[in-house]
Amino acid sequence: MNTQSNRQPLPSGLWQITAGQRHRYLAAVAAMVLTNLFLFAPPLLGKHAIDLVTTQDASRAIPWVSSWAQALNANSAAVLEPNDISLYLWLSGGLILLLTAIAGAFTYLRGRYAALASEQIVSDLRDRLYAHLHNLPARYYDGADTGDLVQRASSDVETLRVFLDTDIVEIGRTILMLLCVMPVLFALDARLAASSLVLMPLLIVGAWLFFHKVKTVFQATDEAEAAMTATLQENLTGIRVVRAFHRQDFEIERFAVRNGEFRDRNHRLIKLMGLYWSLSDLVAFTQIGIVLFYGAWLTLAGQISVGTLFAFTTYIAMVIWPIRQLGRILTDSGKAVISLGRINEVLRSAPEPERPVPAPARIAGQIRIEDVSMAYDDKPVLSGLSLTVAPGETLGIVGAPGSGKSTLIRLLLGLYPYQQGSVRLDGHEVSNCDRHWLRSQISVVLQEPFLYSRSIADNLRVGDGSASDDALHQVLADAAATETLAKFRDGLDAQVGERGVTLSGGQRQRLALARALLKAPPILILDDSLSAVDLNTEAEILAALDRRRGQQTILIIAHRLSSVMNADRIAVLEQGKLVQLGSHAELSQTPGPYQALCEVQLALEQTVTADLDNSRQAPKATTTADVPLDNRGEPS
Amino acid sequence: MSYDDDLYDDGIDDERRAARLDLRLWRSLFRYAAAYPRTLWGLAGCAVLTAIAEVSYPLLTRAVVDQVSQTGLTLTSWHTLEPIIALYALNTLLATFAIGGFIWFGGKIRTHVSHDIRAAGFANLQRLSFDFYDYRPVGWLMARMTSDCERLSNIMAWGFLDLVWGLTMMVGIAGAMLVMNVKLALIVLAVLPLLAWISVRFQRRMLTSARQVRATNARITGAYNEAIMGMLTSKAFVREAANGDEFGDLTGQMRGHSVANHLQSALYVPIVVTLASLATGIALAVGGLELLAGAISTGTLIAFMAYIRHFFEPVEELGAWFAEMQMAQASAERILSLIETEPTVADTEAVIRASALDNDGIETIELDNLSFAYDPAEPVLRGVNLAVARGQTIAIVGPTGGGKSTLVNLICRFYEPTGGTVRINGRDYRERSLDWLHARLGIVLQQPHVFSGSIADNIRYGNLQATPEQIEAAARVAGAHPFIEAMDDGYASPVGEGGSRLSAGQKQLVSFARAILADPEILVMDEATSSVDTVTEAQIQRGLAAVLTGRLAFVIAHRLSTIRDADLILYVADGQIVERGDHRSLLARRGAYYDLCQRQQTQPAKVQPPATTEDPG
Repeated sequence: MNTQSNRQPLPSGLWQITAGQRHRYLAAVAAMVLTNLFLFAPPLLGKHAIDLVTTQDASRAIPWVSSWAQALNANSAAVLEPNDISLYLWLSGGLILLLTAIAGAFTYLRGRYAALASEQIVSDLRDRLYAHLHNLPARYYDGADTGDLVQRASSDVETLRVFLDTDIVEIGRTILMLLCVMPVLFALDARLAASSLVLMPLLIVGAWLFFHKVKTVFQATDEAEAAMTATLQENLTGIRVVRAFHRQDFEIERFAVRNGEFRDRNHRLIKLMGLYWSLSDLVAFTQIGIVLFYGAWLTLAGQISVGTLFAFTTYIAMVIWPIRQLGRILTDSGKAVISLGRINEVLRSAPEPERPVPAPARIAGQIRIEDVSMAYDDKPVLSGLSLTVAPGETLGIVGAPGSGKSTLIRLLLGLYPYQQGSVRLDGHEVSNCDRHWLRSQISVVLQEPFLYSRSIADNLRVGDGSASDDALHQVLADAAATETLAKFRDGLDAQVGERGVTLSGGQRQRLALARALLKAPPILILDDSLSAVDLNTEAEILAALDRRRGQQTILIIAHRLSSVMNADRIAVLEQGKLVQLGSHAELSQTPGPYQALCEVQLALEQTVTADLDNSRQAPKATTTADVPLDNRGEPS
Repeated sequence: MSYDDDLYDDGIDDERRAARLDLRLWRSLFRYAAAYPRTLWGLAGCAVLTAIAEVSYPLLTRAVVDQVSQTGLTLTSWHTLEPIIALYALNTLLATFAIGGFIWFGGKIRTHVSHDIRAAGFANLQRLSFDFYDYRPVGWLMARMTSDCERLSNIMAWGFLDLVWGLTMMVGIAGAMLVMNVKLALIVLAVLPLLAWISVRFQRRMLTSARQVRATNARITGAYNEAIMGMLTSKAFVREAANGDEFGDLTGQMRGHSVANHLQSALYVPIVVTLASLATGIALAVGGLELLAGAISTGTLIAFMAYIRHFFEPVEELGAWFAEMQMAQASAERILSLIETEPTVADTEAVIRASALDNDGIETIELDNLSFAYDPAEPVLRGVNLAVARGQTIAIVGPTGGGKSTLVNLICRFYEPTGGTVRINGRDYRERSLDWLHARLGIVLQQPHVFSGSIADNIRYGNLQATPEQIEAAARVAGAHPFIEAMDDGYASPVGEGGSRLSAGQKQLVSFARAILADPEILVMDEATSSVDTVTEAQIQRGLAAVLTGRLAFVIAHRLSTIRDADLILYVADGQIVERGDHRSLLARRGAYYDLCQRQQTQPAKVQPPATTEDPG
């Protein structure tokens, strides 16, 4: 599928992640420049208007506005009449409205381009993460925590989105404000402009320190939240166990610790923000005060006009307030850096390797395993296992929990790598085959079957997307699931999962079996897939499988003798080794674990047979009705 | 497991809920904030002080400008500015502390309220009965306890702050403007109704599209969750490309909704600013004329210009909070329902008082005409009668869905019977406390749940005070000891999330050991060893006999080995006990149990029974 995503370089930093959308960000920034240019004008209009009114000096007015006012008033004299001044004021007011509206249009464009850019980046990132999760090897998920991965894919991406959407533009605006306003201020009055920069270094250094501090505090908060969520989720999924052992108080206490931890961490993060904000406000207000009073001094000294002072106090606020926003921006940026790091941890994990697709579209179904060893974290699970299964053969596999049965299946599917030996399907080495090709040769019912939250029909069609409803009913019958289906009001359209029908373990197993039967590849594997069904049902399913005998290579992992005894051969695993291999007839006669298994079963059966025989000799009980009420309570 | 309300139909309609502000709902929620009265007063105080400080700045600026714009002044009159400098410094300190303070207090309310709501919710969740959980998926509950809690506590802290601050600001500025110049002030205030109307309309639309964004986001989270949970299946069925395509559609939708939402707010902000500038423009023209006429001072005009900017800020904020409160009402109702729902199975005060001194052991249990139904039209159990006593092992067999688990759940009082009674030691068990009964239970479920942590931690869950020796002894009886010892860290080995490092059979053995360690008076095993091989199972059977002595055990099983030795076997089908008796007597009946035994035979019986010629399978 999305293999090119893996070839793309990782978005290592907040700048790199904007690749491909920078033209839109550029457009957003351009729109912002225009917004700001238009927003500069209203204070200037105000300044000239106020200066004109206070001094009654025509030279203080903006020439073209006063000409316009004079033209409207049909006054051709060089001197402004009171009517001209009045018109001048209305024109200024109108211009303020017009310019703000134009600036508003650009604000809209800025928002539009920023949204398009950030949403595109985020949507690409989501797709990429999703594809990458599918390309990660199965081993990755053994050590992974689902809740944590979901948190990375959802809330970390969201944190990043907030940054991309608002903060990039805000940072651009802050820089731009400084770049645009400062020349204007310097042009108005260099000394006053210089005084407006006095405390700027303090703000910047403070912001820098805060940025680094907030990263660590946020990470701690994030982890505390994850721990709290995990505890909550475990409690809720295991609530029946909690009740069964009457551990409510223990659980409440355990949750209280996590809940309190998250509260305190989060409070600490907010307090840190409060400290930064109040301090940066102290600096900001002091800075404005410096400009105001120095400006007043200059005005008193006759060096600048009152209008200039007004313009200064307005502009300095325009510069200072965005810098004041820096607290929030820096918090978001710190969070975004942490979140991107967490996302990259996932993206950096190596995906399953790409292998060539072997020539035949469909193999005959021969499995040849030679001297295969495999270890999890240095703990051997399979050691020197060799086994050959002929096309069309039915092989039963038995063994104690942890003897390596499921691992063997995962090797065949190319889900786990093997460190030593060789696994071949029709002579194709599994580790050298394209994994999709490989898995299309095999149909499997996993030990803990998973059904998607969609309709039953859709779940079955995962096996074969083009199957007809009749085909679905056929495999459901083979999997002894017809009766189960009949219980659902919507039949094949019944929804599976949290919003739909609740399925018991046995029902789940049978639907997963039907799904596997629908796909009819050369190899069929049942990994402990009959454990939760009763014996009648098992017999039905085995009979259906028997009809397929010879058409598919079938591997059946099971615990009950009844599930495997009719297989062509039976493999017995013990601690990762093949200890016995042969037909039921052979193995039950050979001393060894299988015989022990048979003996356990046989001993039981003999007793039951004896019981049955005895019962046949005894007269049949006269009634099949329930035991009369007065019999209850008697220890039988 | 996607944490959003929109995924589940729970009868709480967001649209209807959002139609108007339901104050009753907010009053009940506000109790959680009211638990911190001093913080709340501090927050309100700081909000007012912040507003005062912010309103004061333009006044101070006006004072400065007025001082310096008097004609003919020189530097010699600098001293007239000194009091203003002092006031400015004071105001700056006030602002600093007020702002720091409101974040401090708001942060406390924000974090403590969400903590307290969550704690209350959690505590109630531990009380609620199984029927509550039957209809509420874990994902739904998680959404209430995480994102809803955060959302509501945000409203209660920052929404409250902005309400106090915004009202103070607007009232303060309006007051200041009215005092300075009534005519100009009225011009500015005239824009307000228009702005308020536009704000509320816009915020509503924005929140509607925001809800679409959230709903899609929930589906995306759900898709990730499903992808991870079903990864092996997707890989085995080569579903990667198909899943990726479907997910691509979803992220495409998400992009569309998000951009639409952004465009609405991108339109809204300029409209507010432009309306504010309408006020500014008119005020400049009218104010300039007043200034020209000498009716107002230069400083007043400048102050007006500054005030107008500040005056409209809160409108935007308050509009947003108002809309957010409307939209969050569904969340509020859900979380309150979570906290306030009473468990269907609960002790009355009288029962708790009466049974406080109960310390008798369980001797007998009698079911008298016991019935149960979720839905009256489809009864799960119908008039079951049964009497059992301490020391007995009761095996329950029968087809899936026949009511086996329900019967056991009723005996354990995880559900309340809809008909009939259960008597323990001759007394209706509803007259005894749940604690009394539940402390005497040990249960092994068919789908075993293990908690993350070590194997020892999981077994110890049965008895928190157990010593390592007791844990090992329990594991030996459960047949779990050999595999645990073979693990790298033995009993200290972590089991992984949801027991991911254990096989299905191993999980069953661990949860079995847990139940044994609990040393219960009633032991319930629901298909406890279905994924365990026959040899291990036989070993367990040998050890189990000793464990069951003196206890009451209920065993739901398919395997005859587990059933055969039971003192009483119940064949349950269609919600009734169809047959009952011990192994021998039931065989003699030639009924359902007889058929069951027939099918268990892997080899044809030596003597073919004349009645049946069924394929033994």
